Amino acid sequence: MQQTKGLALEVRLSAYIDGELGEAERSELDALLARDDDARRLLDKLRAGSAFGNRAFEDFLHDPVPLALVRQIKQGPGINPKLERVTTSNLPKRSVRILPRLVAASVGLVLAGGIAGFILGSTTNFVDPVIETAASPWINEIADYHRIYSRQKAHLVEVPAAQAGEIERWLTSSVGVPFKVPDLARKGLAFVGARLLVANGKPVAQLVYRDQEGEIFAICFLRGGDGAGTAELSETIRGDLGFVSWQKEGASFVFVGPSSAAELQDLAQTVAAVI
Amino acid sequence: MRPAAEMKDFRRDLVSLLPKLRRFAMTLTRNANDADDLVQEVCERAISRSHLWNGESRLESWIYAMTRNLWVDEVRKRKVRGTGGMVDIYDQDTLNVEATAEKAVYANQLQEMILSMPEGLASVFLLVNVEGHSYREAATILGIPIGTVMSRLSTARLRLAAMLSEDTERRA
Repeated sequence: MQQTKGLALEVRLSAYIDGELGEAERSELDALLARDDDARRLLDKLRAGSAFGNRAFEDFLHDPVPLALVRQIKQGPGINPKLERVTTSNLPKRSVRILPRLVAASVGLVLAGGIAGFILGSTTNFVDPVIETAASPWINEIADYHRIYSRQKAHLVEVPAAQAGEIERWLTSSVGVPFKVPDLARKGLAFVGARLLVANGKPVAQLVYRDQEGEIFAICFLRGGDGAGTAELSETIRGDLGFVSWQKEGASFVFVGPSSAAELQDLAQTVAAVI
Repeated sequence: MRPAAEMKDFRRDLVSLLPKLRRFAMTLTRNANDADDLVQEVCERAISRSHLWNGESRLESWIYAMTRNLWVDEVRKRKVRGTGGMVDIYDQDTLNVEATAEKAVYANQLQEMILSMPEGLASVFLLVNVEGHSYREAATILGIPIGTVMSRLSTARLRLAAMLSEDTERRA
């Protein structure tokens, strides 16, 4: 606890707001606030400033960070984030901001020959990963589901992998998207089972996989989607999770895993090809 | 050297921290380009020194303190170099933000207002009011006495309240 006696009243009231005062000082200020209109007005002003600042600082989190820096952290050194730097923090909307960044990042990829290997051999055009906090609503819901379900030890799935045939019949009829459970064993992922989720008010199939280190990955898909996606695979990162999404034959797909998984796009490409 | 699994966790945590780390860096540099350079340098250093991270306190406190130290070094270097044509960031009256057609957009105006506060106010406000660090933690991260944290915080709040009032009048 802090001692603020003798300090300016705004400093004392500021510490009062933060709960940094001892009981005696707190009681003293409570009494002052009960009898002094000016003190109350000052407290209201400090609180208003706090609330205003909180809102303004929240907006900073919507600025994408340099794309290649994420890769450098995930995969180790060898690429120069400055080649892919895109600073568009002044642009107002995510939809406006992302596009020029992606274009610039693509140019950076071409320039940085060393990075080309990352996408060479791919038959699908990837869009570079973007850190963001808001995008397709159904993917936002998937993110919430994944964060909760991936921590479940005993009840990770509704229907276990041993009933793969049943999973295919059940989820195809429930979701309306015909599919085969992709075998990703050669990619180091073991199929654990499936769940039926709900997003955008629609049923969503979730196929759950686990890697050798216990990390959980999932393929999620629904009929239609929010219409925001394309056949092109695009990667986004939201905090600890990475998402590669695409659309195919009237269905929307997303492959979810830890954002630190460098192989996320490669895995998603495999899934997109076989599911 | 850390085991591979631990290193992977560390890298994952670092990626998760990036948006917040960039925001903190912005309060120090008050300039997006410098903030991105600083974040990159901090990440490189954090990974190379990850074996020193004991995992007992908040990772962000360790990373933030490293960020502040690196920025103080950078400001010192710029002073020694005579800034090489650049204005010392702390001598700037206004924020060094590129003019864009969208500059007038409200969200960016808020960011500009925040970052145009005098040196040190935005960092303290961010750490305590927005991210919930205690006064002691904020003082340790920023390398300043707790009394300075307290006075800067109250000053920041009153300035923000004044900004809110101006903003409300302008938008009325």
